[in-house]
Parts: sequence; C-alpha cells; structure tokens
Amino acid sequence: MANYQAPLRDMRFVLYELNQGADLCKLPGLEDMTPDLFDPVLEEAAKLCEQVLHPLNRSGDEEGCTWENGQVRTPQGFKQAYELFRDGGWTGLACAPEFGGQGMPQMINTLVSEMICATNLSFGMYPGLSHGAYTALYAHASDDLKAAYLPKLVDGTWSGTMCLTEPHCGTDLGLCRTKAVPQADGSYKITGTKIFISAGEHDLTENIIHLVLARLPDAPKGIKGISLFLVPKFLPDAQGNPGPRNGAACGSIEHKMGIKASATCVMNFDEATGWLVGEAGKGMRAMFTMMNEERLAVGVQGLGLAEASYQGAVAYARDRLQGRSLSGVKAPDKAADPIIHHPDVRRMLLTIRATTEGCRALAAWVANRLDVAEHSVEPQEKRDAEDFVAVMTPIVKALMTDLAFEAANHGMQVFGGHGFIREHGMEQLVRDCRIAQIYEGANGIQALDLVGRKMPAHAGRYLRAFFHPVGDFIAAHVEDDELGPFVQPLAKAFVRLQQATGQIARVGLAKPEEAAAAATDYLRLFGLVALAYQWARMAQIALPKADADPFYRAKLGTARFFMERMLPQTGGLFSALMAGGGSLMDFPEEAF
Amino acid sequence: MAEIKKVAVIGAGVMGAGIAAHVANAGIPVLLLDIVPAGAENRNVIAEGAVARMLKADPAPFMSKRAAKLVSTGNVEDHLGQLADCDWIVEAVIERLDIKQDLYARIEAVRKEGSVVSSNTSTIPLSVLVQGLPERFQQDFCITHFFNPPRYMRLLEVVKGPKTKADAVASVSRFADVMLGKTIVDCKDSPGFIANRLGVYWIQTAVVEAMDAGLEVEEADAVIGKPMGIPKTGVFGLIDLVGLDLMPHVISSMVSSLPASDPFHAANREMPVVKKMIAEGFTGRKGKGGFYRLNRAGGAKIKEAIDLATGAYRAQKTAELEIPKKFRDLMAADTKAGRYAWRVMAQTLAYAASLLPEATDTIPSIDEAMRLGYNWKFGPFELIDQLGAAWFAARLAKEGLPVPALLTLAGERSFYRVEAGKKQVLGLDGQYHDLVRAEGVLLLSDIKLSAAPLLKNGSAALWDIGDGVTCFEFTSKMNAVDPDIMALLGKALKLTAKSYKAMVIYNEGSNFSAGANLGLALFAANIAAWTEIEQMVAAGQETYKALKYAPFPVVGAPSGLALGGGCEVLLHCAAVQAHAETYVGLVECGVGLIPGWGGCKEMLARWAANPKMPKGPMPAVAKVFETISTATVAKSAAEAKELLFLRPSDGITMNRDRLLADAKARALAMVEGYTAPAPADYILPGESARVGMEMAVDGFHRRGIATKHDRVVAGELARVLSGNGADISKPVDEAHILEAERAAFMRLVRHPGTLARIESILETGKPLRN
Repeated sequence: MANYQAPLRDMRFVLYELNQGADLCKLPGLEDMTPDLFDPVLEEAAKLCEQVLHPLNRSGDEEGCTWENGQVRTPQGFKQAYELFRDGGWTGLACAPEFGGQGMPQMINTLVSEMICATNLSFGMYPGLSHGAYTALYAHASDDLKAAYLPKLVDGTWSGTMCLTEPHCGTDLGLCRTKAVPQADGSYKITGTKIFISAGEHDLTENIIHLVLARLPDAPKGIKGISLFLVPKFLPDAQGNPGPRNGAACGSIEHKMGIKASATCVMNFDEATGWLVGEAGKGMRAMFTMMNEERLAVGVQGLGLAEASYQGAVAYARDRLQGRSLSGVKAPDKAADPIIHHPDVRRMLLTIRATTEGCRALAAWVANRLDVAEHSVEPQEKRDAEDFVAVMTPIVKALMTDLAFEAANHGMQVFGGHGFIREHGMEQLVRDCRIAQIYEGANGIQALDLVGRKMPAHAGRYLRAFFHPVGDFIAAHVEDDELGPFVQPLAKAFVRLQQATGQIARVGLAKPEEAAAAATDYLRLFGLVALAYQWARMAQIALPKADADPFYRAKLGTARFFMERMLPQTGGLFSALMAGGGSLMDFPEEAF
Repeated sequence: MAEIKKVAVIGAGVMGAGIAAHVANAGIPVLLLDIVPAGAENRNVIAEGAVARMLKADPAPFMSKRAAKLVSTGNVEDHLGQLADCDWIVEAVIERLDIKQDLYARIEAVRKEGSVVSSNTSTIPLSVLVQGLPERFQQDFCITHFFNPPRYMRLLEVVKGPKTKADAVASVSRFADVMLGKTIVDCKDSPGFIANRLGVYWIQTAVVEAMDAGLEVEEADAVIGKPMGIPKTGVFGLIDLVGLDLMPHVISSMVSSLPASDPFHAANREMPVVKKMIAEGFTGRKGKGGFYRLNRAGGAKIKEAIDLATGAYRAQKTAELEIPKKFRDLMAADTKAGRYAWRVMAQTLAYAASLLPEATDTIPSIDEAMRLGYNWKFGPFELIDQLGAAWFAARLAKEGLPVPALLTLAGERSFYRVEAGKKQVLGLDGQYHDLVRAEGVLLLSDIKLSAAPLLKNGSAALWDIGDGVTCFEFTSKMNAVDPDIMALLGKALKLTAKSYKAMVIYNEGSNFSAGANLGLALFAANIAAWTEIEQMVAAGQETYKALKYAPFPVVGAPSGLALGGGCEVLLHCAAVQAHAETYVGLVECGVGLIPGWGGCKEMLARWAANPKMPKGPMPAVAKVFETISTATVAKSAAEAKELLFLRPSDGITMNRDRLLADAKARALAMVEGYTAPAPADYILPGESARVGMEMAVDGFHRRGIATKHDRVVAGELARVLSGNGADISKPVDEAHILEAERAAFMRLVRHPGTLARIESILETGKPLRN
C-alpha cells in the first residue's frame, strides 16, 4: 500500500500566501488564532493521520463493520485509533471554546479534514457526523440541550448522527413520515424508520446522539411540516451519564461499494424519547444551517482521496519501468524507462495534481469566507461573505467530488492492472470516492441548487461575490507581461461563464426546465473558472519566487498545465449547455 | 348638438368640486356654486374652500395649477344669474328630493335656451326628479352619474328620461367622452343604475357568504381577487377604501326602491360586527381603520385584520388556501376557496345577467360598468364566457338556483365572439352584433383581431394601423425597455422608412413604460458583464438617435407611467400626443443611475431653447439638474409640459380610447414636408458649473436632505450636464454629451451603492436612501 505524506508545504502556501491565514486573528473571536498555533496543529494532525489512521485504511476496508443483534462492531483497531483521536482533542478542533472546543477556524479544520479523508475516509465519517450534529445543535438547540449534549459531543465521548433519509424519500424530504408526538413533560415520542444513517450505531463512543427529522401530528404537508428532534441512544441520567436505553435501534447495516468501515445503518425509532431542536416546522432550516459546512466537508473528502491517489500514482510512475521514452532513452542502465516519462502518464499525473492543488486552494478560499461569515461583525463584510459561501457551496461539493473521482480513476489507471487489484489500495480510493458524489445532496441536486436557487436570488446578488473579484482581477492583470499568459485563458473562460450565466438566467426565468437541463454543465463550467482564478492567483504569487524555489516552479508548471490542458473543457461545456435542453426533453419517454 | 363652452357645477362637496376641477382640466371655464352658510362673512366660503382643499389634495383633482384658475367660485344666492352663460349645469347637491327640485326650479328660471341640466344623483330616479317641473326642463335634463374621484374614474353613467331630447344627451355625452375622457355607459332609469346596483350586490354577497362559511377576511380577499381579474384589495379591502359607513346608505336606498322579488334583498342582512365597527369609528381607511388596519400602538407598526366572528382585531395573516389560477378551475373546485368563489360569483354573475333588460339593453354596458367602476379586468359576461354560459347555467340549475333568461338565450354560445376579425356581442334578440367603436376611437386590440404584426420579437411588435402609419408596441413584462425593444425599434424604423409614412409609439398596457429592465441590468452588473452593459447603453443611444433623425415623423403616444427609458423614447420623438393621465419623469437617480439613453442631452436642448430662461448656459443646466437629480415625475401630461418632458406644441388626449387615433392623426398631419430636425450644438458651462452643482448637493447633504450616495449620483449628473469639462466658448455636439452620459452611467452601475438601490427597488418596490 502506498505511503501518504500530508502535503504540508502546499497547505502552508494555501493558508498563508494565498489566503492570508495570518490575518484570521483579526476577526472577532479568533484573536488567539495565529500561525504559531496553526503550524503545530497541522504537523500533529499529519502525524496522527500518517501513523494511526492510514495503516487502518486497507484493513478497515477488508474487514468492514459487523452487525449482530442490533450491535455494530467497527473494524479492528478503530476503537483504539478513536481513543487516540479523541485524546488528542481532534473531535473538538473547530468547536466553540465555551463547550470545550478549540475554536479553530474553518480554514484549519478544512486542511486537517483533508488529511483525515486522505488517510481513512471511513474513520473520518464518525467524528465528521458528530461535528455536523454539533453545528446544528449549537445554532438551534435550547440552552438546556446545549449544556447537556454539546460538551460530550465536543470531547468525543459521545458521537452524533443526522437522520434525514427514509426508505421512500431522500432528496424530497417533504415526504418524510417519521412522527413526533408531544408529551406532557415537553418531550416527544419519535416513531419511524430512517435509512442510510452513517454512524447510526457503532462501538466507538458510550452514547450516540441522533438528530431526527420528523413531523408533528398537526403539521402541514411538505417541507413546512418538518421539525428537528434530538434523540439519544441512551437517555442521560441525573448526572448526565448514559442512563436507560432509548427506543432507537439499528435494524441492520448496508453492504456498500466503498467506505466499508463506516457503519451505514437502518435506524428504527419506536416511541423513542426526543426533544425539539429549534422551532416546530423549521426543521429543514436547522439542517441547512450546517449544510454549507457539511457540503464543503464532502468536497474536501474528494480532495483528500485525490491527493492520496496522486501520491500513490507518482511513486508508482517513478518506479515502474515499461517501454522507452519517445524522445530518447531516459534510463539506459535499466531494462526500460520509468513510465513517468510517457506523455499520457504525465497527462494523468498532472491532471490529478492540478485537481488537488486547485481544489485545495478553492476549498481554503471558501473556508476563509465561511470564517468571515461566521465571525465578522461588520454587516456588509458579513453579508458579502455569506453571499459568496451560498453560491460556492454547491460548486465546491459537486465539482470537487466529481473531479476527485476522475482523479482517483486516473491514479488507478497509472497502475494499470496493479491498480485494479486490492494490493496497492488504488481501487479502494475509487470506491471510497464514489459516495461523495451522491450523499449530502447528489451532485445533480447541487447543480439545481446553483441555477435554481443561488443564481436568481436577489437578482443575482450572490454571484456578485464571485464575479466582481474575478472580473477585477482579470482587468488588473490581463495585460501583465509575465502573469498575462495565466490570466488570458481565465479571461476567455470567464466570458463564457458570463454568457452562460446570462443565458440560463434569461431562459430559466421563462422555462425552468431549460435551466435544469443546463445545470450540471454549468456547474462544471463555473467550477473550472473558479479553479482557473485560483491558479492565476497562485501563479501570481509563484512568479517572483520561482527562480529560487522549485516549489514555486512546480506551481507555475501545474498552473500552465491547468490553463492549457484542463480549462479548455469550458469551451465544450459552453457549447453543450448553450445547445439547450431540447435533445433531452424531446426524446420520447417510451423510447428509453 | 350644442357645443359646451362653459359649465356650472352646483354643490361643492367632494363630488361636485371634483367634477368642476375635472372640467377645468379639460380647459373649460367652470362656475362652482354652493349655498351661503348661515352667518357666513364670506358668502362664497364653501366653494372657495373646496378649491383650496383640492389644490392640496393627493391624488390631485387638478392636472395643473393653471386648470385651477379656470374655476370661478360663488354661491347660489348671489351668482345663480351667471348660469345664463353656461351650456351645461351639473347639480351635485345633497341627495334630498325637495332641495334638488327647489334648485331645479331656480335654475330653470335663469338658464339659457338649449343648455343642458344634469344631476349627479346616485339614488333618486330621474322620473321622480323631474316630477312637476316644466316641459322645457324635462327635455333638457338627464342624469350624469360620476364616480369618485371624478378625475381618475373613467366611468360615467348617463340616464335619460322619456322626454329628454336626444340632442341634449348627445352633447353632454360627447363632451364627457372627448373633453373629460369618460366612457359613457347608457343606463335605464332603474335603481342604482348599473355599477352601484351590481357592485354593491357583489360586495354584500361576498361579505355575507364569508360570514356564513366562516372565512377570514384575508381568505375572502385572496379568493375574490386575482383568479377572476379583480384587484387584490378583494372585497373587504375595497370596503375599507369606500368607507364602511357609506355602504348602509347605498344599500338602504336600493332596498327601498327595488321590488320585493329582487335578489338584492337576500343579500341585505344585518351584520352586528359591521354595525359595531361603524359605531366605534372603524369606518375604513378614512377612519380609525376598517377590516384591515395598521396598528401603530406602542411605536411598532403591526398589520391587523378583523376577526369576523368576534369583531376584534388580530394580527394579519396570509391566506393559506389552495386557489387555482384559472377562474373556471376555482369555481369548479370542491374546496373551501372553490365553494366560496362559487357562492359569491355565481350569484353575482347571475344577478348581472338578470339586469337586462331592466337596467340596460346591452351586455357591454354591464361589463364596462364593472371594469371601469371596480377595476375588474373582465366584466361579468366575459367571466361567464370563461366559465362557459352552458356550464354555468347547468351548474346553477343543479344547485337549484334560478337560471336567468339571458343564459338560456345564450345556450351553448358565448356572449362575445370574434368573427372575421371583428369582435361581436350577443344581443337581446339572440343575434350577434358587431361591437361598434365611436368615431375617433382606434384600439390596437381591435386591429390585432384581424392582422398579424409586421415585425415582432419577445419584447415588442410593429403593426400597420392604416393610412401608411405603423404602430410600435412594447410587449415586454411591465413594458420595460430592454435590448429586444431596442433591436426591434431599429428594424421598425428601417421598415417604416422604406414602406410607410409615419410611426406612432403606443401600447395599451396600464403603463406606457416604467423604464429600463432593471432586473436585467442588475443581473448583468452582478456578473460583471460590463461590456454587455456598455453595449446596452450604446445601443439605446444609437436607436434613440435613429428615432430622432428618422426621415418620417414619429409620434409618441403615452398613457400612465413613462419613466426613465420610457421617458427618453418620448424625448426623441418628433411629437407627442399624450393621454392626460400620463406621468413622465427621468427617475434614474432614484436607483443610483443617470439617464444614459440621451435623456440628459434632450432635456439640456429643450431648456436651453426655452425663451423663458434667463441668458447664459447655466440656468438651463441648473433647471435640468434639479429636475433629474430629484427624480421629478410629472403628475399629469399638463404638468409634463411645464417640466418640458413634453413640448408646448405636444397634444393631450383626455380619453384613453381616443389616444391612438389622435396620435395617428397628428403623425399624418406632419407627414407633408417633414424633415428630420437638425442636430443641435450645445454651449455648456463646464467645470466651474460642475463644482457649483456639487457644492449645492453637499449643502443638501449637510442638511440631511441628500444622502451619501445621492452625492455620488448627483456628482456624476453634474459632470454630464456641465459638459464633462466642456469649454463655455466652444460648442459641443450631441456625441460629446452621449459619451459623457455613457461614461457616467458605467461608473455608477459598478458602484455598490447603486447596486443596493436597484436591488431594493426590485425586491421591495421601495427606494433605498443610502
């Protein structure tokens, strides 16, 4: 199995040079968050991921989770690893200090998450779900609920889940049937079945806190009738310790393509005791509070897997000897040249590299704005950041997971037949990556969110937060001698994006189906332009330093590859989406 | 038929004074008389007070201050003799027969031969009014029933008696139509005529049925509204407007005069909640509140509504009913909303059908009365056509409700149809008859029935309206000016130059155009599509220039709002024939922009050429700066002339339906020997004037009158109007000013302050004062 080394050099570049991470401490509430704190955190995280989580990745995949009589056992070593993880304080990394967290900014959390996902995505699911539950409770729960549950979620002795999906409804949660009946003591009795519940049952923590979407007896039909409830596996006793068993049981676990060490459970709630989180009927709103963070986190899952794939593929391509370079022998002392000399292998390697470095930069940009949105007290600055996060969230989620899956595939392809067998771990990355395109809102739904909700909001105001800085950057640098060659392709793609945006907004207003038909191509086009902007900015930083440091030279090389060999996809996407939805919708249903 | 050159109105109450003001709006001198109050020092105090009040009222009864000067005031004791000069005498005194008849006798003694006397009564039959009066009076007497406010309500019900001379009615009707802009609905001498009788029945039925079905007022108003083309005030909102206390008066007068068999009696029910509200002063918007009110108690403004069951106010709520969009679907729905809609509208429409031939002999009279009297989009018979007369009759029968004879007569047929490009209506004889428009009435909607457009795209169309004249029509949403309009206007100018003699720019929307499509502009700005925006501005300038220099006359014919880009199109027309109710203005500064389609340029030229301006370039520039920077909107066509949005030579049409014909006639009159105007040179004061205007705005800013962003916008406007660095000794051409407009526009459209203003207008409809 290939080694993994956390890309700390590139992470520092993205954090400090590209995104002014040293300025995070200027935000209210982040005063203590300075680079002298960040660097050790990143280094320690790297150590933990490289040495503890990574070795369990393959074995966890092979063994998977086991269900027996309602109990779920995680693969060997997971429990010990979780204890180390918890003892290190990693479960509370980005949680509020008032509940025992470390209050780290999203930028740092995102980088640490990448390392966790790169080394063991299945493992990362458990603390990841807890963090989602923490976020929803932190934003919406009553003070009593917060006091009772948050400290334990933060210190990792308890974990959390998100119970949304039911057998007959996933995307369309308005159809949700799980019932919540009010009790005299202010609690509720929750009854219903939830499926696909990650970390719904496991042996890592002493208690599991389920956040369940359910419907009150008199609730209106559809999404307005959904409320959010907190349902613990064990009801806390007077001391706050796990007491009597609640009516929440795991009926079975799923057998899946990937993330096999993550327990995906069917959860049966049978008059389980729960408490309302936030207002009645506002359940979806409470869920959406954490959506921005969660969707960014899923994008980062893809990024981590792509990085792991890159590292494996590069090592193999240096090592593997096959054929001779077409421009002349490169390793005369060997039977053949290393395959890294072949153009097509380079195409694949650079594609993965441009994907990972570009997505890392993009994720950090969004995480940075998320920090501003969460912490700024200046209304205009806060709103601009919120606008930006709103429009970029679906893009980050779908683009990064789609590109990551392609990248993982490339990485496996570099290995040839050796990528297809389990031994090298490359096919596991492909399998593990696949779910990221599906859960937390399938990528097609992300595209609809972008064109249907984010684009038209406030006559396009969310878009302003992206288009204006990019437009200004282009105007300022397109004529530059050195930077110009990196900016001109961006400028060209940007015009395509503007035209496509105008077109979709126009036709979408009259005919929503046309906008929906263009949505996925549009999201990819938008995402590629966002990456191109990141690459142009990275080139801007790298240019003056390239002579002295190979890191920056490589940056420029990857930037050039992205601009010349990846960004032109925008031309094809533009043509496809401008062709309209006729070919999709005119096709007779019975002809399928 | 005698021409009416002078009018008298007796009774200076709300209606009488309003009628007098509107006669003055038509440019006709009018005498306004009322009684001498006991012990009054100023014997004309009532009439004079009425005029003074009207000068301050909003909405204004007068279209201009000049019109007010045409009203002379007096009293019925000292000045009745002056009636001898009047061609039409309108009586609008209190609804008491003895007082009216006494007045008629005194009028009869002084009025000249051939003059016409009419009453504005709404409750007393003509046959009763003329009882015992001389034959000559009866021959020259009719009822002219105006609606409140007389300037704005287009409906006029006219009732003639058996002895009334056809000539007398014709001359008054003609005058009311052409000069006052009213649509005449001929009514028979039956109680409440048409609009009050049917309208009040409708309102009363809606209230009674809402109480019976236990609907909230919000629910009732949501149902009896949009799906049937009724204004969103619905019924309860409408009563608040009219006044709760007025309703019982109208109802009781009708109840006392209608036969016992009339369905009206069934709808007349004692309603304790309403009675209590009136008694406590909750008489509607003019009182402490009505079915709805804004509760300002405790500083907060809370929207409240009456709980019909208890009569107590509670917080207003949104109606959560499933309401189908189509009228027929709503009427057929077995839901709370559907059942209520059916109960109210089935009875109302059936009552409408039963009013023929008692109240009128023609179907369009009923439809016109409800459209113009209550702002219904469709009249009752048009609504029945939406249901299908046969479907409606069958459903009435099924529910055991009486089926009016007229529905049986229609059978499977519709009341209206289009036959060979002509609109026809069913007559009481069971035959279809062409709808005949009065002479001088030309409607684009009629032309469309038989013709295809010469050119058309998503936002505009070009029509052949005969005699070598084309009509350019905006068809975009809200008639907003957008790139498609510009593109088609360019083509239309070319086509008209090639094959026609003249063009009219006109449409039949409720507003000519409220300006450029701001949503499009904001979206383009949000995606940083600066090149596109600049092209949009440049294309507009080019198109309007082509319009101005077209080799044939182009006549703009606006009605309603003509703002921003909709005003600029008029500024470039060779002439304008405006409906009297046209509201023109360059309002771009309100959304943080400046006129960029030649509006600054044209206004500069107009004020510079105005002989009344003091010498030198500065006064004109200052006047334009004041008009545009404050986003001044003229409140009538007459006022638009004062502001030079219209030229002194431009025409005004009082009757909306006559606008197109008048505009076409004006265009044709200009054809012979027409030459395009010569491009003007501009002498502009330059930098020092810019600084002066900026300082003035800074002063306003310090005094808190102008906001921070007002300063930015006014600064850009000052730059353009002062000539963008022009030298006072060197004239500049149009291109110079257009370029300055464009550059200023582009700087402003990138400004966050401007984007916030546009967003506010689009999302809330309210200007943002940032």
